[in-house]
Amino acid sequence: MNHLVRAPVAVLLVTASASAQAPFSATYDGDRQVKLEGPVTRIDWVNPRAYLFIDVRDPSGAIINWAVEFGNPLDLDRDGWKPSALRIGDVVVVEGIPTRGQARQVLAKSVVLTRTGKRLFAPSVTHRPSAPAGPAPRWPDGQVRLGPPPGKKGYWGAASVKALVENTGATIAIDDVGLLLNLSDADRVAPFLPWAKALYLYRQRRRLQDDPIARCVPPGGPRQFITPHGFQFVEQRELGRILVLLGGGDRNWRIIYTDKRPLAQAAETVLSYYGTSVGHWETDTLVVDSVGFNERFWLAPGGLPHTEALHLTERFSRPDLNTLTYQVTVDDPRTYTRPWKGGWTVQWVPDEEIQEYFCEDSAESTFVR
Amino acid sequence: MPRRAYHLIGSLGWVIAILPLLAQEGHPLTGTWAGDWGPTITQRTHLTLVMNWDGKNISGTINPGPDAIPLASVYLDVTNWTVRIEADTKDPSGKAVHIAAEGRLEDLSSYHRRIEGTWHQGTAQGDFRITRD
Repeated sequence: MNHLVRAPVAVLLVTASASAQAPFSATYDGDRQVKLEGPVTRIDWVNPRAYLFIDVRDPSGAIINWAVEFGNPLDLDRDGWKPSALRIGDVVVVEGIPTRGQARQVLAKSVVLTRTGKRLFAPSVTHRPSAPAGPAPRWPDGQVRLGPPPGKKGYWGAASVKALVENTGATIAIDDVGLLLNLSDADRVAPFLPWAKALYLYRQRRRLQDDPIARCVPPGGPRQFITPHGFQFVEQRELGRILVLLGGGDRNWRIIYTDKRPLAQAAETVLSYYGTSVGHWETDTLVVDSVGFNERFWLAPGGLPHTEALHLTERFSRPDLNTLTYQVTVDDPRTYTRPWKGGWTVQWVPDEEIQEYFCEDSAESTFVR
Repeated sequence: MPRRAYHLIGSLGWVIAILPLLAQEGHPLTGTWAGDWGPTITQRTHLTLVMNWDGKNISGTINPGPDAIPLASVYLDVTNWTVRIEADTKDPSGKAVHIAAEGRLEDLSSYHRRIEGTWHQGTAQGDFRITRD
């Protein structure tokens, strides 16, 4: 029998896995949960999000077609799942999180095939093997390479943290999308000016549902190095520049000039998401200064604000093949009481290319409905 | 399916059609605001405010152009997002006129956020509503 059940789940954000919280903030309503049952009418196994559609009979007896988002096809494929795991007409039970709006759409927490009782599209518990240890690769002149060793593939993947906080040694409980578990820790995140702290807390209390990145806005500033889909350096030494290719967000790139040009004056630059960057090497560390940022993005997951006065100094080093150390000094006197530092490490993903995770934004509504 | 869900935030396709595409995410008062004030719904006077945050003070102008009125002070109370604006101008006869307005920032996360409240200009008073352009 088809049925539809709604139940409040006020503690869901706390108890659900941090990863699963990611979409709640923007589209899905973490305070509600639905359970749906019905036959599959359509399967969209298309990157970046896979959907199935089911006909669900509501309490009045009417049939309503629901869209069920159940994962990224590339990840599903990596875990051994194929679209043939499900057929049109199969009856499934879906438990998940509905959207905030009126759309009949849900993010699945589980999909169970009724005729077998088998849970479909569950992630693999096996972890990707880490790359063999080794020294950082170098160019013939001895300078560290930020990209793959010669003849190899690879990119920089997961960051060691999920949010940018000041390096003070204090432990701050933050979940995987940047939400403080205790809002009273805000003062330890960064040395905010009063307005900036109030805005940060406003965003936190709204569970980051206003996050610009959810609208496919580029992840400017440190955030570009903390997206789940990684990034890659392309060092064009003959051109005096380094390209940073981003696997997440709207999948664009940033240019760091290493041709010894001076840093632009912030007041004279065309403001942009990635600013204007110049870099130089200090032994094995790439030091990058950037100014000229617009105010249309958040510095990092969690809602850190900034103004056009932002000046970033980033330091990249590669102590070994598999580790990138990222340190950033945030200097924005209109937002913070003083310059402050934060950072993390990033893990090398060997022998793979960055996958296609394009942001689709409003295109999604075209595909889903 | 936590890992997949986590990957999804990087794909960033969450549809939030009610939000504008390009919000201004810095100081919430910075920008150009347009609207009107007046004692009744039908008696309205156009209003343009330009405000800027320099890290210490909010400065700005009412109705930029030949009749511009510099803002004497702007105070933002971040505990409740209320704004107090004061300025001084002259009426057509040359008599000094003080402007004092107090309103509340609404829809803070929107590019087209609003300030609504009360407006006093000399002996006249009414309400005002401005929206960030």
